[in-house]
Amino acid sequence: MAITYALLKDVTSQMYARSLRQVPSEATAALRAARSREEVPVARRTLDLMLDSAEQARERDHLLCSDSGIPTYSFKIGTRAVLPGDVKAAVRDGFLELAATSDPPLLKHVTNPLTNERGFAGKDMPIMSFDLIDGADHVEIVCSPKALGTGRWSQAEILVSPSLQDIEEWVLDAVVRAGSQACPPMVVGVGIGGTFEHAAHIAKEAVLRPMREESPEPTVRAMEERLREAINATGFGPMGTGGATTAMAVHVNYSSGHGYTPAVVCFNCWIDRRYSARIDNDGTVTHGV
Amino acid sequence: MSDLLRGVAEHHLTLPLRPGDTTEVVAGDLVHLSGEVVMSIGLPTFKRLHRELHEGIAPPLDLRGAALMHISSSGQRNPDGSYELHYVNSTTTTRFDDLMPDLIRGHELSVVGGKGGLGEESVRAMRETGAIYLSVPGGSATLLSGAVREVVEVHWTEYIWQFQLIKTRFEGLGPLTVGIDAHGTSLYRDLRAEAERRLPTIRDTMTRRRDAPGP
Repeated sequence: MAITYALLKDVTSQMYARSLRQVPSEATAALRAARSREEVPVARRTLDLMLDSAEQARERDHLLCSDSGIPTYSFKIGTRAVLPGDVKAAVRDGFLELAATSDPPLLKHVTNPLTNERGFAGKDMPIMSFDLIDGADHVEIVCSPKALGTGRWSQAEILVSPSLQDIEEWVLDAVVRAGSQACPPMVVGVGIGGTFEHAAHIAKEAVLRPMREESPEPTVRAMEERLREAINATGFGPMGTGGATTAMAVHVNYSSGHGYTPAVVCFNCWIDRRYSARIDNDGTVTHGV
Repeated sequence: MSDLLRGVAEHHLTLPLRPGDTTEVVAGDLVHLSGEVVMSIGLPTFKRLHRELHEGIAPPLDLRGAALMHISSSGQRNPDGSYELHYVNSTTTTRFDDLMPDLIRGHELSVVGGKGGLGEESVRAMRETGAIYLSVPGGSATLLSGAVREVVEVHWTEYIWQFQLIKTRFEGLGPLTVGIDAHGTSLYRDLRAEAERRLPTIRDTMTRRRDAPGP
């Protein structure tokens, strides 16, 4: 067997459907931990409601949010993976089939930016990125629906020969700008260095990194911890109505670059919509990896 | 200035609100909302409401004293003419901020809301009309949709569903957090001001920790 068109279509479509219905267990654990630390009564009630919402959506197989966003897929393809069919067409066809059959129905969010026409089909939709894993004989995929709620607060800046302090303060300012509006507690993804488009790519990788996976570098881990504490000291809190947890996690990625340093920050809201899967050459699908 | 560490008072409010219903409601309280709410998340919808208000054109449904909220929904018109809602949830209200003061004053709205808050001109308008802003938790479509009882009216059907003006009857929608009360207190303004006030100390703490010798 191989990683066929039909298998990819089925798996990527399921991934999108699942990502809309379940909060990752690490995020619910982070929300419970935030609840146990919280001293603001209304924030405790908001966190309780979030945990209840997550549980009910899972139990009733229902959507977490009315805004199903636009689907994005990050692929990492093993150089020994066998993909005999069309990959992009499989993802596109799987999404359109899901949009036509979803129960409850999905709202039309795919928007032509030039005409404001909305539908499900659209140029370059779903949004896909592709990377390689040298020597691997499998494909890793992360599906992440993206909507205005957090999407509009992503920010990019080209810093010139910045110090670590400059970078950290720029990230903090970007989070403060989003303030109450991006459905906190959030996961904050930061990408630093490389080139403009690469910084955005690694910021997205950072926001989608499972919370259990620590950065291998102590400098980065210390930076993530500093930023998380700084963001939480602002006090915006759950749903931006006050409290001790504005960020569940801060994940930082960096690449070497030149004297100009692109910096990108992006967010996932409290439902932390992301769903990962791995497909091996023999067709074995492992969910939630 | 709001005091977030005080206990949370809960209110059960039924629409249409009567004068004085929001007097005891304070920013940071919780509200369970029943009655008819007009919902839409369409920027074109709110721009049109705003334009027609200035042109003296009556809206397609009575908005005087109404609850007009930025709540999204999925729904459909059945062959027998009845309507069905699949789910509801909030959207960010700040992108409507320049339109809301006139709409709040012009229609003497009693309840507005969604998520993320509104700016100071909206807060002033709300104070004049006695309106409150209710924060509807994002990501809670499953939970909130249980409060939907029926779709009462639907207008401007030329727009996509969630942009249409949909009057829905709820029972016990909530708990919703009072983000802005009718006395001019806004959690959003106070929290942003407090965050700005704390920023120098937060930056200093980051610097101290960055410069501290490693383990």
